[in-house]
Amino acid sequence: MSGPLHLVLAEITAGTPTLTEISRRTGLTLDVVHAAIDHLVRAGRITSTQLSLGCPTGGCGTCSSSGGCSLPAAVGRRRPGLVSLSLTQRVA
Amino acid sequence: MSDSTRVRLPLTPAKTPLPSAKACCHEIPQHTAGVDAAVVALVGAPNTGKSTLFNGLTGSRVTMGNWPGTTVEVSKGVWRTTLQSPSCNCETCTCANDESPLAITLLDLPGAYSLDAHSPDEQLTRGLLQDGPVSERPDLCIVTIDASRMAHGLYLVAQVRELAMRVVVAVTMSDIAAQREMSVDTALLSRALGCPVVETDPRRRTGLVPLAAAVRTALADPVPAPRPVPPTDDALVLDDDRFTWLSEAAERATVAPGNDRLTLSDKVDRWVTAPIAGPVIFLAVMWAVFQITTAVAAPLQNALDGFFSGPVSHAVTALLTLAHLNGTWVEGLLVNGLVAGVGMLLTFVPLMALMFLLLALLEDSGYLARAAVVTDRLMRTMGLPGRAFLPLVVGFGCNVPAISATRILPDARQRLLTVLLVPFTSCSARLTVFVMLGTVFFGTNAGTAVFAMYVASVALVVLVGLLLRRTLWRTMGAEPLIIDLPAYHLPTLRLTASVVWQRLRGFLRTASGIIVVTVCAVWLLQSVPTTGGQSFGQVPVEDSVYGVVARTIAPVFAPAGFDQWQTASALIVGFVAKEAVISSWAQTYATEQPAPGQTGLLGDHIQAAFVQSSGGHPLPAVLAFMVFLLAYTPCVATLAAQRREVGLKWTLFGVAMQLTTAWLLAVAVFQIGRLFW
Repeated sequence: MSGPLHLVLAEITAGTPTLTEISRRTGLTLDVVHAAIDHLVRAGRITSTQLSLGCPTGGCGTCSSSGGCSLPAAVGRRRPGLVSLSLTQRVA
Repeated sequence: MSDSTRVRLPLTPAKTPLPSAKACCHEIPQHTAGVDAAVVALVGAPNTGKSTLFNGLTGSRVTMGNWPGTTVEVSKGVWRTTLQSPSCNCETCTCANDESPLAITLLDLPGAYSLDAHSPDEQLTRGLLQDGPVSERPDLCIVTIDASRMAHGLYLVAQVRELAMRVVVAVTMSDIAAQREMSVDTALLSRALGCPVVETDPRRRTGLVPLAAAVRTALADPVPAPRPVPPTDDALVLDDDRFTWLSEAAERATVAPGNDRLTLSDKVDRWVTAPIAGPVIFLAVMWAVFQITTAVAAPLQNALDGFFSGPVSHAVTALLTLAHLNGTWVEGLLVNGLVAGVGMLLTFVPLMALMFLLLALLEDSGYLARAAVVTDRLMRTMGLPGRAFLPLVVGFGCNVPAISATRILPDARQRLLTVLLVPFTSCSARLTVFVMLGTVFFGTNAGTAVFAMYVASVALVVLVGLLLRRTLWRTMGAEPLIIDLPAYHLPTLRLTASVVWQRLRGFLRTASGIIVVTVCAVWLLQSVPTTGGQSFGQVPVEDSVYGVVARTIAPVFAPAGFDQWQTASALIVGFVAKEAVISSWAQTYATEQPAPGQTGLLGDHIQAAFVQSSGGHPLPAVLAFMVFLLAYTPCVATLAAQRREVGLKWTLFGVAMQLTTAWLLAVAVFQIGRLFW
């Protein structure tokens, strides 16, 4: 089986770094790649994490930059910005 | 006459009766089109114009929002369809005489991406369209899809087409698609999907008549055969079959400028995320950041240093003289302690502001996201876990939250390894020391010296990580990770200014607290004599508890070229917090008289100390000192965080590893460096 979802998952597993690169390698349109990623996130097969150069929750009490950092969190993919996607370990 | 209401429908399963679209519609007769009227359900993903279309068709007003549904509510209205006008108001009917309006009960179901029931909204939509008996389902389903993100909406179309149900697809947001030079060929899409497709613009009320016509025609026809699905229980295989179907349909029906046409972001990304050019560009950008920061801020910093060590100190001394407190411990604490220490912190305000500004510009423009790709690739190339780069990136701001950030790593060994590596990332507190020493010893090349420390920091992370992986954790697996990059855009002045201000304020607030506490502690230790005949606060620093402890430890650093007790004492204070290294120097040297030929500025004192301790090789000695500062324990707060995350045993192991690494590297840098400088 080599449908779009399997192709996208294979690229993630292979370490393809960006969605644009996945689109180029698989021949799928970027729209389909985005839709596939969103579907895989909703299905729990990959995890989406909003990133920034800020801090995670907790541990900021003694940080000099704690007043100005933005907090990355698993908030889905609706916000623009840097988002990391990683495969979710699934128990067979 | 049009009318609508909102009703709450029961949720499945929880042993409640399966929801019935028709039963629901018949509950309040005055709000329905009649018992025999057809029931049409409006479904679609959030933000596809579904509710706006509902308003346009029923003529009613319902609350619309741009957020995914927060309550599981269903709007219901009467849609009087004609073939001449979007909707019919029977009192002032303009329909052709030979045509009677067809009243339809229209349901506006909650926004749903699919029938997979991942949310209560989707659960309800699934219950109404799929789980209930066929006789209780709507007679027809209108699925709204966004023309600019068509693939997102087509998954729901695929699922609805698998049901024994009439389907009409309404393509919305064509104006947004047109702005992106995209359009949808509805005829081709209709052929690919096997159901009518109508382009509508609910906001401008266009395309509603063709939609009514399509719905009436479909209602008159028999229910079409469902889309065949592969006989499998594997959810991924089933989903993939839908995506294959929708991908082909979208590709066939979308008229776009071409996936081959690269945007400006794509063109730039080809270079900045490339395996070779990417790291080189990243290093060049960071070098420029440090060089600009030090070159622009250094004169301001020197001026502020002179201001605090000169006029401010003199003014405070004069005030104390007026109060008859000169020569007392109060003068020592205020002038040599707080003014010197806090004043030194304030000299870094221009530097930190400029640094935060440049980093905010890079972050807001989208470049730092590309840097994350480069860093991630480097980590994986070295065999380190991909996701470990996240806390390590945080570590360049502050090590303490970076330790907490390791919780995102699913594997305990990955967490432990990353917790042990985080202290090697050069936090912003260390930056102040690097900039000061770089300015004093390397002049216009200060930026390059600071940049070298950051490169050394990355190298340390990679090398120590590899060493630990090859010895302690050989079986640890790497986990793939990809990054969804935002498009480049021009940074906004308001956002950038806000970020700079907040970060600067945070730095000053926390660092000033640490420095005030440390200054008081250092002053106390410098005031306590170790020999008889001297009183509290009236003792030369080298004879105080502070000086004696520092002199005891200082010989350890002789092979590294910085065994002056003043230098060693700064490292001891730095164990508590790196923010306090410079303030402790300022405090120590503020009590000493400048040597002949010296200006009395802190930089001159430090330079003289390194010249003396290194036997005339100050540059390799100061580099060795900077490497030691980079590699040894960041601060006690980091130790506390490490203990919380990995326990006391591994924390102590980390401290021993950091001190050993720091000392060995410092000695190597000095001993090799002295051969050349």
